[in-house]
Amino acid sequence: MSDRICKMEENKLIERSKQGDLDCFNQLVEMYQRQVYNLCLRMLGNTHDAEDVTQGAFISAYKGIGRFKEGNFRAWLFRIAANACRDQLRLLRRRPASSLDALPLDLELEDRRAPSPEEYAINQELGEHIRHALAGLPADQRMAVILRDIMELDYEEIAQATASSIGTVKSRISRGRARLRAHLKQYVELFP
Amino acid sequence: MWNFFPRDFVCIYREMFKRKRECKKLKGMLSPYIDEQLSPSEVKRVERHIEECAVCRRELESLRAVVSLLHRVPMVALPRSFTIAARAPRRRPVALGALRVATAVAVLLLAFVFTSDALHLFEAGRVEDRSTLQGYTATSTPAGGETFEAPDASDVQPETIDASESTWPVRSVELALIGVVVVLGGTTVILWQKRRRGEGLKRP
Ligand SMILES: [Zn+2]
Repeated sequence: MSDRICKMEENKLIERSKQGDLDCFNQLVEMYQRQVYNLCLRMLGNTHDAEDVTQGAFISAYKGIGRFKEGNFRAWLFRIAANACRDQLRLLRRRPASSLDALPLDLELEDRRAPSPEEYAINQELGEHIRHALAGLPADQRMAVILRDIMELDYEEIAQATASSIGTVKSRISRGRARLRAHLKQYVELFP
Repeated sequence: MWNFFPRDFVCIYREMFKRKRECKKLKGMLSPYIDEQLSPSEVKRVERHIEECAVCRRELESLRAVVSLLHRVPMVALPRSFTIAARAPRRRPVALGALRVATAVAVLLLAFVFTSDALHLFEAGRVEDRSTLQGYTATSTPAGGETFEAPDASDVQPETIDASESTWPVRSVELALIGVVVVLGGTTVILWQKRRRGEGLKRP
């Protein structure tokens, strides 16, 4: 019920944004900025590029919102962000990567109690390994895995966000997870 | 003669071979199996196989572990808001348009003067050429190239003008026009690049 109201609200905001209402568009930005930023952050691996690309993606979305037809707005937005990430990665390949501003990846704990120092250390080490393992994936597999396992989108939405077929999404996720498993082998055995 | 191997052995071998092939086929199905993306018959096929194949069972378990690790990657808080600031009144694009037109006019004019010069038209129709030329320079100057024209012209006039060639300074007009084209073109390019960069970095 509240979901449907939200959707109606969203459609209204989209309509008014198409007429050039920046305040309405900014409300959409506020609804999705956390997800878009996190997608870019996991895709690019550092906060600096993630901020730039997120901002750029929202500006492109505002300029191009007239081209958005009915459908899944989030997937449309993610598609713009995904393309922006891809362009940025292409640029990064040309200049030496700096990991100085890379954000350490701290995993969430499964239970809410305070971790012991050892648990904390293992957790941090594991987070770093996940970051490296993700960075080692080909970009299209990484995008699919992030959208599925971190952003928790369904296959249909991932297909829309990456402009590919469900079959392609399936195989990218499958190959991406298999590679991650190889990278994280020791930890996978540690955390059954 | 053909039954050289014992019958059981052939059977076992064939079974092993079949299962190996099935393992290969199932490899790509384990991940969609976790996400419940398989058809009921495919699900049955996977479940039947992992029941008897320990290798694939372990593979499925480790894939599940990877997925649950990834689920623990947190959504981080925003470093700032990404809302878009209202645009400053757009003046640059208008200036840019005018500059482009002025550059184009100057280039055309330059081409005209060059060809005229090359074909020695100035000696024949000096009077008309002068009037059109002056008309053109007048329209192109307000866009910003005016300061460069005068010094250029006065600089070159003394040494390049051949007294026998013409009573009005064709060479210096050409040089002045080159100066105008360079200045106008340069300004246009700089403005254009600034604007592109500005769009990419626009912040609230
Ligand atoms: Zn098997």
